[in-house]
Amino acid sequence: MISAADTAFILAAAGLVLLMTPGLALFYAGMVRSKNVLGTMMQSFFMIALISIEWVYLGYSMSFGPDVGGVIGDLSWFALNGVTTAPSADYATTIPQIVFMIYQCMFAVITPALITGAFAERVRFVPFLIFALLWAILVYNPVCHWVWGKGGWLGNMGVMDFAGGLVVHVTCGAAALAAILVIGPRRGYGKRSFIPHSLPMTFVGTGLLWFGWFGFNGGSALAADEVAATAFVATHLAGMAGVLMWVVVEWFVLGKATTLGAMSGAIAGLATVTPAAGFVGPNSAIAIGCIAGMVCFAAVNLKVKLKLDDSLDVVGIHGVGGAVGTLCLGVFASTAVNPGGVDGLLAGNVAQLGKQAFGVVVVGSYTLVVSWILLKIVHSTMGLRVTEEAEVTGLDYTEHSETAYNS
Amino acid sequence: MDSGDTAFMLIATAMVMLMTPGLALFYSGLVRSKNVLSTTMQSFVCLGVITIIWVLYGYSMAFGPDVGHFVGNLDFAGLRNVGLTPGPYSDTIPDLLFCAFQLMFAIITPALITGAIAERMKFSAYLLFIVFWATFVYFPICHWVWGQGGWLGEMGALDFAGGTVIHINSGAAALVACLMLGKRKGFGREAMHPHSLPLTVLGAGLLWFGWFGFNAGSALSAGPTAVLALMTTQVATGAGLLAWVLAEWKVQGKPTILGAASGALAGLVAITPGAGFVSPISAMIMGGVAGVLCYAAVVAKGKFGYDDSLDVVGIHGVGGLWGALATGLFASTAANPDGANGLFFGNPGQFPVQAIGAGAAIAYSVALTFIILKVIDLTIGLRVGIEDETQGLDVTSHGEVGYNI
Repeated sequence: MISAADTAFILAAAGLVLLMTPGLALFYAGMVRSKNVLGTMMQSFFMIALISIEWVYLGYSMSFGPDVGGVIGDLSWFALNGVTTAPSADYATTIPQIVFMIYQCMFAVITPALITGAFAERVRFVPFLIFALLWAILVYNPVCHWVWGKGGWLGNMGVMDFAGGLVVHVTCGAAALAAILVIGPRRGYGKRSFIPHSLPMTFVGTGLLWFGWFGFNGGSALAADEVAATAFVATHLAGMAGVLMWVVVEWFVLGKATTLGAMSGAIAGLATVTPAAGFVGPNSAIAIGCIAGMVCFAAVNLKVKLKLDDSLDVVGIHGVGGAVGTLCLGVFASTAVNPGGVDGLLAGNVAQLGKQAFGVVVVGSYTLVVSWILLKIVHSTMGLRVTEEAEVTGLDYTEHSETAYNS
Repeated sequence: MDSGDTAFMLIATAMVMLMTPGLALFYSGLVRSKNVLSTTMQSFVCLGVITIIWVLYGYSMAFGPDVGHFVGNLDFAGLRNVGLTPGPYSDTIPDLLFCAFQLMFAIITPALITGAIAERMKFSAYLLFIVFWATFVYFPICHWVWGQGGWLGEMGALDFAGGTVIHINSGAAALVACLMLGKRKGFGREAMHPHSLPLTVLGAGLLWFGWFGFNAGSALSAGPTAVLALMTTQVATGAGLLAWVLAEWKVQGKPTILGAASGALAGLVAITPGAGFVSPISAMIMGGVAGVLCYAAVVAKGKFGYDDSLDVVGIHGVGGLWGALATGLFASTAANPDGANGLFFGNPGQFPVQAIGAGAAIAYSVALTFIILKVIDLTIGLRVGIEDETQGLDVTSHGEVGYNI
């Protein structure tokens, strides 16, 4: 039975999630130097085109199509064959299946875009596109099937992920780590500082991301019901607790509260609560946001010590946040909040935390290994890095023949 | 429970949240580039601070069981008794969702005040101020008007989406704040041009978009009242934009984009209390008058010489006051059968009620804001040092700079 209200809600939520990718492009572009602002935006924006097409022909079927051995969907939904305005029997039974399909498409789009923050300002555009396409097919689609696909083995085992802590954030974080290792740091990294060229632009991105995240997490209830309300509230509370905690810790440790810290804290809180949003109450969500603010702040600062050029902190915020949030689900989840969910450690269910940890390890290591192999292949055949000269000139001009600012 | 209403309110809540980042952009485009981040931060940090105190006790003070028609008690502290079933304020959506929707209003109100104190307030003092101000000013006034048992609501004062609670309230506080902080260094002698009007227009666009959630969402259901509120919001905003630009063209010789953005905002503010109670034609008049009135108020500011840096008093204070009074003139049960009639529709009693509501909010907000700021001034001080002000708050308060192009 199609519900008009649920359909309206998920259509609007899909629009909100789409807006997150341009939001992310602005978020990232503000943090790079002004010679790389367009190149950085393009890496995110182009994913909307590339991955949407991939999703229609392969991705949706591989992720959500009829199961093959718990590992992958088959290709019987190739080119949306059989995916119609009738509801699916297995997913979101109150909305047309094409609405579910397009909603999930937006998740597939933003995930590779998130990775680009790790190797900002130094990667060639075409090799990047080839990597992103291969990555969507060989990493995102299988992991999405394991966790959310009907018959996926992690889902069958009881590993939970409300809105993409594993599927989106752990995968992009682990891939980002592989990318940093393969591609190496920017020229001059560690010797001079790389100052964001426009923090107001980053702020525009933060605002749009936060707004879109309501669709991301709230919409993951796939209906306009109590679970959506729970997830919506948890999302906001964790985001704001992330802001507050990051700023306070930074104030203590570094002596000043920065706006970049407030924005990073927001994204950390939002990413961390993502897997748990529909399963936890308001007070647990605040606790999760506080944990996110502290742990991600520590992770971002550890990066400096390890001399890894995770340029825009994808590993520290999304990877660590996604993993911590997936574990937090195993601690804070409660069937008193969501009877359709699970109980976590605090509600006396020790086993769930073990399952969540297993999920993090499996998804993290699979993503790390496969991403590393893909990057190595692309790097050794086409070369992922721009020339030293091009890096000095900037990607806007050398890759796209444009410049962002001309007064 | 109604899933249509729930869907609508989920989206409306997200839209109202977006208004705070929108406001941050609106304001930060108007300041000088050395203060762009600190101005942004003043709005953005409200999302953190106000959310916490709303969960801890704010929601309970505003919407909890009534104590003496003045404030709610602490039965809902820590969101106790606020669940996923419909609560006392709406039969068709989860109580927790109503709480989240109202939270977004509580966040943006102190953020609105920051326009009056831009470019010169100490960040630590500011944080203290918003905690006290939300606690002692916003939560009680919100209870008076919207809380069950609140005295203004019981008297019959109409405030559809926050003309009194939000705009008159923040405008009155802004007036006190800019008088107590004093002028920016060099105010009146050197020009203080907006550093990026495109940023301001981006913010105005997001505010306008979010305002549909603000006003239409205040119907709390996806029904005819929401549709009316959405349309009146659009009409009043368009009229405000046009009226301001025309007035400016006539008086100063050129229509400006800043005038258009300000006029739109004035129209949005003015229609807020009446959005669900007036007809679209009345909305056009309300918005048009607001555009001219607020323009005049902003011009008059120059004569009085106080440094309401980004015109919070002129737009939110004056626009909110006009809107609250105009609701007493234009409200009509022909537009909304569940509303009331105003003076022009045969009910002269409504106008004085609106005036009392506005007057009470102004008096209370002015008095309490004064006391709060005085206490902070005497303890840790309100203003940054003169050198910090010259160098800009971005570097001195936050250790960052907005642009490195």
